[in-house]
Amino acid sequence: MRDLSHSAIEGTYMPMGHTATQQAGSGGLTATEHRLANGLRVVLSEDHLTPVAAVCLWYDVGSRHEVKGRTGLAHLFEHLMFQGSAQVKGNGHFELVQGAGGSLNGTTSFERTNYFETMPAHQLELALWLEADRMGSLLAALDEESMENQRDVVKNERRQRYDNVPYGTAFEKLVAMAYPEGHPYHHTPIGSMADLDAASLEDARNFFRTYYAPNNAVLSVVGDIDPEQTLAWIEKYFGTIPGHDGKQPPRDGTLPETIGEQLREVVEEEVPARALMCAYRLPQDGTREADAADLALTVLGGGESSRLHNRLVRHDRTAVAAGFGLLRLAGAPSLGWLDVKTSAGVEVPAIEAAVDEELARFAAEGPTPEEMERAQAQLEREWLDQLATVGGRADQLCRYAVLFGDPQLALTAVQRVLDITAEEVKAAAAARLRPDNRAVLVYEPTAPAAENENAADTENAAENENEEAAK
Amino acid sequence: MSDATPKMSFHPQPQGGIAKPWAFPAPERATLPNGLTVLRCHRPGQQVVAVEVNLDAPLDAEPQGLDGVATIMARALSEGTDKHSAEDFAAELERCGATLDAHADHPGVRVSLEVPASRLSKALGLLADALRAPAFPDGEVERLVRNRLDEIPHEQANPARRAAKELSKELFPADSRMSRPRQGTEETVERIDAAAVRAFYEAHVRPATATAVVVGDLTGIDLDALLGDTLGAWTGNTAAPRPVPPVTADDTGRVVIVDRPGAVQTQLLIGRVGADRHDRVWPAQVLGVYCLGGTLTSRLDRVLREEKGYTYGVRAFGQVLRSAPDGTGASLLAISGSVDTESTGPALEDAWKVLRTLAAEGLTDAERDVAVQNLVGVAPLKYETAAAVAGTLADQVEQHLPDDYQAQLYARLADTGTVEATAAAVSAFPSDRLVTILVGDASAIAEPVRALGIGEVEVVSG
Repeated sequence: MRDLSHSAIEGTYMPMGHTATQQAGSGGLTATEHRLANGLRVVLSEDHLTPVAAVCLWYDVGSRHEVKGRTGLAHLFEHLMFQGSAQVKGNGHFELVQGAGGSLNGTTSFERTNYFETMPAHQLELALWLEADRMGSLLAALDEESMENQRDVVKNERRQRYDNVPYGTAFEKLVAMAYPEGHPYHHTPIGSMADLDAASLEDARNFFRTYYAPNNAVLSVVGDIDPEQTLAWIEKYFGTIPGHDGKQPPRDGTLPETIGEQLREVVEEEVPARALMCAYRLPQDGTREADAADLALTVLGGGESSRLHNRLVRHDRTAVAAGFGLLRLAGAPSLGWLDVKTSAGVEVPAIEAAVDEELARFAAEGPTPEEMERAQAQLEREWLDQLATVGGRADQLCRYAVLFGDPQLALTAVQRVLDITAEEVKAAAAARLRPDNRAVLVYEPTAPAAENENAADTENAAENENEEAAK
Repeated sequence: MSDATPKMSFHPQPQGGIAKPWAFPAPERATLPNGLTVLRCHRPGQQVVAVEVNLDAPLDAEPQGLDGVATIMARALSEGTDKHSAEDFAAELERCGATLDAHADHPGVRVSLEVPASRLSKALGLLADALRAPAFPDGEVERLVRNRLDEIPHEQANPARRAAKELSKELFPADSRMSRPRQGTEETVERIDAAAVRAFYEAHVRPATATAVVVGDLTGIDLDALLGDTLGAWTGNTAAPRPVPPVTADDTGRVVIVDRPGAVQTQLLIGRVGADRHDRVWPAQVLGVYCLGGTLTSRLDRVLREEKGYTYGVRAFGQVLRSAPDGTGASLLAISGSVDTESTGPALEDAWKVLRTLAAEGLTDAERDVAVQNLVGVAPLKYETAAAVAGTLADQVEQHLPDDYQAQLYARLADTGTVEATAAAVSAFPSDRLVTILVGDASAIAEPVRALGIGEVEVVSG
């Protein structure tokens, strides 16, 4: 299944490059839960196969907590968390972690902000000290200079990932249609240029005072750790940070299960080909229905044996690529995203008719047993990939703790997907993958495509720029 | 402002414990009766197994005028075999929860399989079928060709890819395969058909010149028996080793602007050609290039991002293009990133200032120490997964390096001093021998860039 996370999650810096992930025996994994007196929830999971340890901290704040006129603030603030705190100078957080042989980053999405370090096991204490320092004392270091600098960095992040690439703002437009004006999920975490310009140092300070508290966070530590020692360090470094209840609950994300009509926007832009994209409101994350919808999208538009791939790319030959992605959301309906780029000379209505036909047939007949087996095998592998690294496991433990109150659910997620029946998948498709539950975005190119006969290329130098330097 | 005075108790920065030993895994090497080289590596806990296959089918082996045939062949390997139709093959593979990717690059074709260990046997059978008896049906190949033609405008529109294409064209002589797009142009791809794909396969794909790397938790798997039944059943003749053409490049300092009227950012790609891993300078070059632009705290980003805010980030890197057993290979050395349009001139000026300062004053010992600690220290995390280990082992094979190259590299990095790292970085990025590609709005950036004096400025259409 196409991974939508890059569109929904804003990062702090361009990472050095991530290798594909692998599985590490979800069967044997266990996790223990703890809570400090100040409200910080802690999840620990041991795995001594490799001498590494991951620290992951989820703050229960994301772009859904932002208010009108301040979109993008949660993400901009996340950048400021790397600009020093009482005992950490300037870029010290990066310098110290990398100098200890660790890797790190932070990301912001609709429902949470996360910060993570993967360390050689013997450097775990440093990562805990650093996270505690900024949780408790960021405002001692935060100043106008960092604010102005990171505002410029984030605006360039927006240009690079959205404004200067073809179809770059498609996801933003689909989200804005699927979640109405005024809804907390109406805007994406990157925010608008105008709002990024408008954010003030005082806004950032208030954001910290409101949301950055030990009782609004979950800390997980996974890997080659001594749980007793780890817990002692956590108590030592985080234990005296005062909790507070400044946080306002996010605005209510409740929406009707379906949009109730077909919304439509045609974008005329300089893009290389026509495209049809659709967003569907899907069941909220954490439910059986969400897992059923995930399987439905996988059968329809995940991988090279999916119905839409076979129909549009293989048989009709009307599309370059066709696939579904899923953005799971816990506080509002999830979002299913269809993305079809047309082949040369093909008009959008031909694609749309074929998509409608495939979706209607699927809703009527449901998946075949073979399709269920394939979709479950694919989702199982994706889950195994998530749990394969200590960092991936730490992130999932935090996710289930923050969004669903129970980190243990991360360890049983695969089984829940495997328990879904074909009937449930059919029901999810019939209820949600309907024309009256979608926002349609059509791209029509403004300039004649491929005027340059010397055509293009796939040189991958720039793509490989993040190749790890030690290779 | 009261909360600028934190209420928590502070403790001194912890110093860290004793590092636990870790070494890059040593693979076991063997040759099957059919001549296939096999590297295997047991990684406890890694239950998604990674299999990488190197095929000695380099791009320079493509027939004249058929650029892209290696790519189409790589893609067509999974479009049906003597046992399965194209659709059935895709379905069977996904039934295993597997992914199979194949791509063609200068050193050869690489096929990558990832599958849960519990279903390795079946997936390895499918992989073996794809290599041993690909069907290359006319209709499927024709579809892949059309699909490839449809992809080209998308790549053309992507600023990073457009920049990479232009840099290759600038650096390498026109008769070198490296000067031309890896996956072909519209003109060459249009000529490809099933017969051409089969001819390329017959000429260059055989077990005797291929290597399979298998990495993962192999507990309870009789890999010898499994290989015998799958990849071991692949047959083929032997082939004389192919000569590797030398790599030459023109790195006369100059600027090419690929015009994108109205672009809000300029994509930068500044590069030249340098040593590959066979050269003794490689560890020092890795270290020096990291200090220059490996991460957010390296010299380039310290100024361009963290001081000036011109960019989300720029990176300096070395990427092997192709190696040869005799050490005559080369890598691409480059600086890449994007900056907002109006900061293009100032950002380039700062980048050159960083390079000149580096050449004049050198790296500091502290910079070198942090870089070594990072590059060596991250190894256990970098190689946590089977896929990461398999990828590096396959790269080593492809680049004619010994199986313990990566393990030795860490020792050599640790032994590299500040002076060597400085020298390597400075000779990798001499400020007057760099080809600069800018994909951006020429009307806004050409004048400020000319004023910098970093070489002749030429504007080409987007």
